[in-house]
Amino acid sequence: MKVELGPVTRLEGHLNVKTTVENKIIVDAKCEGEMFRGFERILQGRHPLDAQQITQRICGICPYAHALASSYAQEAAYKITAPANGRILQNLIQGANHIYDHLLNFYQLSAIDFIDVTAILKYTGKDRDLMHLRDWVKARLATGKAHAAAPFLPRLSGDYVENADISIGALKNYLIALEIQKKSNQASAIFGGKFPHATSVFPGGCTQEARIDLLLAYKTIIEEVRGFIHDTYLPDIIAIASLYPAYWNIGASKGGFLSAGLFPLGPQQDGTRLFSSGYVANQKATAAPFDCNAITEETAYSRYVSQGPERVAIAGALVPDPSRGYSWIKAPRYEGQVAEVGPAARLIVSYHHSEDQRVREAVDRYLKKLNLSIFQLNSVLGRHLSRGISAAIIADYLLEACEQLTPGQPTMAAYKIPATGEGFGLTEASRGALLHYLRLRNGVIEKYECVVPTTWNCSPRDGQEVPGPLESALIGLHVASPEEQLESLRVIHSFDPCLACAVH
Amino acid sequence: MNEIKINRRQALQLAAALGTTFGLSTLPEPIRAALLPITADTAPKIIYLQGLSCTGCSISLLQTATISPLSSITTYSNLSFHSDLSAISGQQALALIDSFISGKDGEYYLAIEGAIPAGMPEACMIGSKPFGEYVAAGAKTAAGIIAIGTCASFGGIPSAEGNPTGSMSVPAFLAQRHIDKLLITIPGCPTHPDWVWHTITHLVKVGLPELTESRSPKIFFGKNLHNSCPRYHYFQEEMFAKKLGDFGCLFKLGCLGPITFADCPTRWWNGGSTWCIDANAPCIGCAAPTFALHKDFPFYRTESESRTKL
Repeated sequence: MKVELGPVTRLEGHLNVKTTVENKIIVDAKCEGEMFRGFERILQGRHPLDAQQITQRICGICPYAHALASSYAQEAAYKITAPANGRILQNLIQGANHIYDHLLNFYQLSAIDFIDVTAILKYTGKDRDLMHLRDWVKARLATGKAHAAAPFLPRLSGDYVENADISIGALKNYLIALEIQKKSNQASAIFGGKFPHATSVFPGGCTQEARIDLLLAYKTIIEEVRGFIHDTYLPDIIAIASLYPAYWNIGASKGGFLSAGLFPLGPQQDGTRLFSSGYVANQKATAAPFDCNAITEETAYSRYVSQGPERVAIAGALVPDPSRGYSWIKAPRYEGQVAEVGPAARLIVSYHHSEDQRVREAVDRYLKKLNLSIFQLNSVLGRHLSRGISAAIIADYLLEACEQLTPGQPTMAAYKIPATGEGFGLTEASRGALLHYLRLRNGVIEKYECVVPTTWNCSPRDGQEVPGPLESALIGLHVASPEEQLESLRVIHSFDPCLACAVH
Repeated sequence: MNEIKINRRQALQLAAALGTTFGLSTLPEPIRAALLPITADTAPKIIYLQGLSCTGCSISLLQTATISPLSSITTYSNLSFHSDLSAISGQQALALIDSFISGKDGEYYLAIEGAIPAGMPEACMIGSKPFGEYVAAGAKTAAGIIAIGTCASFGGIPSAEGNPTGSMSVPAFLAQRHIDKLLITIPGCPTHPDWVWHTITHLVKVGLPELTESRSPKIFFGKNLHNSCPRYHYFQEEMFAKKLGDFGCLFKLGCLGPITFADCPTRWWNGGSTWCIDANAPCIGCAAPTFALHKDFPFYRTESESRTKL
């Protein structure tokens, strides 16, 4: 039977997945990105400094990653670098944003696929928020209307957590996480100007000063957030994992792993990074260096006038054709191969290609504790664990980076924008590898290209009929109810898709 | 774009809609709606749909500090559907949305984030149906429409010069379809959580807030940003930042405070901890009707350049 999962909720944007189910096994899955805006065309002819602002509006969940990728690309085109303080401030802004995004994915977007929200009705304790939630759900359900307790209920049917105490505990943490994500974003915004959509990030640094009062405010927040990561977030991931161990082996994508690298550890954005860039072919123990020219984008099943595989920097004009293909998402390939990006890919690449031992050590600790192999991070639970480990590593790094900031020293490079130039900008959004490319002519943008995390993960089939990472992770999945497919939602949410990013 | 002014008739239409929503048989004047306490029954039901958007406004709403995120959706509103938070998904989500849009008049508010690809309906689909059709159908049954963010209010980046989708704002789309409906615009890229949650609360407790010509609540969008900027005296004393990263009035770097009407200078962002100017970042006019629309009107001025406009 054919079942459409769209609109898939609890992710960013407009995703439909068309599945074919036989004997409760998904035998085919097609990811459809259903929203197109045409950013690359909108950017043509604009002033280059508009780019780090316009491209943030590709995605309001991970805007800072776009601001950084665009700033890096412009720095390459202008042949400039940021002063030490400016780079650190950019990292502080982006890092706190990563943490919020991981918490949001786990508690607000994914946990609802596992915990039993109705357990709140059995709550007998005295926590004010939980009492409020219990009384509210009770009163809403008493109205007898089907949707009265939305957005929490109704929900899909499935095998939710049976132990009410565990569900109630997780619900409490859902509510605390709503407050913690705010704080993490507040920390970003102290230097970023506001969140979402930072105004202070520019090629060459950040306009906010490296003031001691701002630094202490930032640090205090990150210390609190770090406490939540270690005391609550990681234990919650492990608790869910202990109840659903099968998901260490469910939802694996069938391709390689790509990371663009995250947090330059010095002023040079193309120098060593905390999380390495590189490519690991599936089940291979070595990482190859990241090569922008190894990336091609295909449109065999995408809604654009058909072009063969094209390299990013020389790609032709973007011409939409809604009558073609099945998705607005293009099919990016690395050396012609499918690649997963995101927290698991980032750790797998860093693990095999670590310039900085912190990541490998942290990953090893958890792999040993949970008796896992590195490639089991390529699973539903593996992606959640990767986010938790990443958040912990990032929080430690941010506290350390605070100490490296020199109050009073410059945070912005001075520069003149050349009339011509080109450059790549690479970073990791929380959900994976992000590439921006821009080329200037006569002082304005002649060409702008973005290859975005969910473009990789929710890619449609390419010209060789090879499914994208999420498609391949769904094919073969057992579903208890073919009509509702809670299991599919667990797989989808583990990728943390962002469709506004994927198509842009 | 045909301007629709909020007139007395529409204000009364809102009052009637509120009356239906609250089960009150008569509700003489919108001002009488005032004294309504917000309870689980009076809190407005909201169907929140996204078009050509980035979800930045939704994420901004989650940063609410003057009311808590939990109370925003359980005390001050009933968030009947929101793609980012709803437990329900797929066909059942579509059925939920449809039960409101095809249901009784005036039962709910339709909140729209994002612009509408009027020239290319396939550029935004929800469950294989064009997004614009949801807006058009919902506009008939909703008590009112709240356009959230600059894309929905004014068009924003998806509608910028050179866009391939024929994208437009909610007011422009409704005008094109000759749909006359109570409409409030709450711009900002993203919008500020206070602007939205306080407007929704105002609707229940006090009635329709006084609106500007572009239908935005005057309490938030009535004052010029430049004139109320804490750095205004630097402008008067001509102490200008000369390059990015400098302190001072940011006017010469292209600050768009002079064309922007929003209360950022007094409200600040992210729990009142920061805002663009305090980070020495020129205002880019993200709440202004012309935000990002024209290629020859860049956000910034650099030393060697001047804008062709402003």
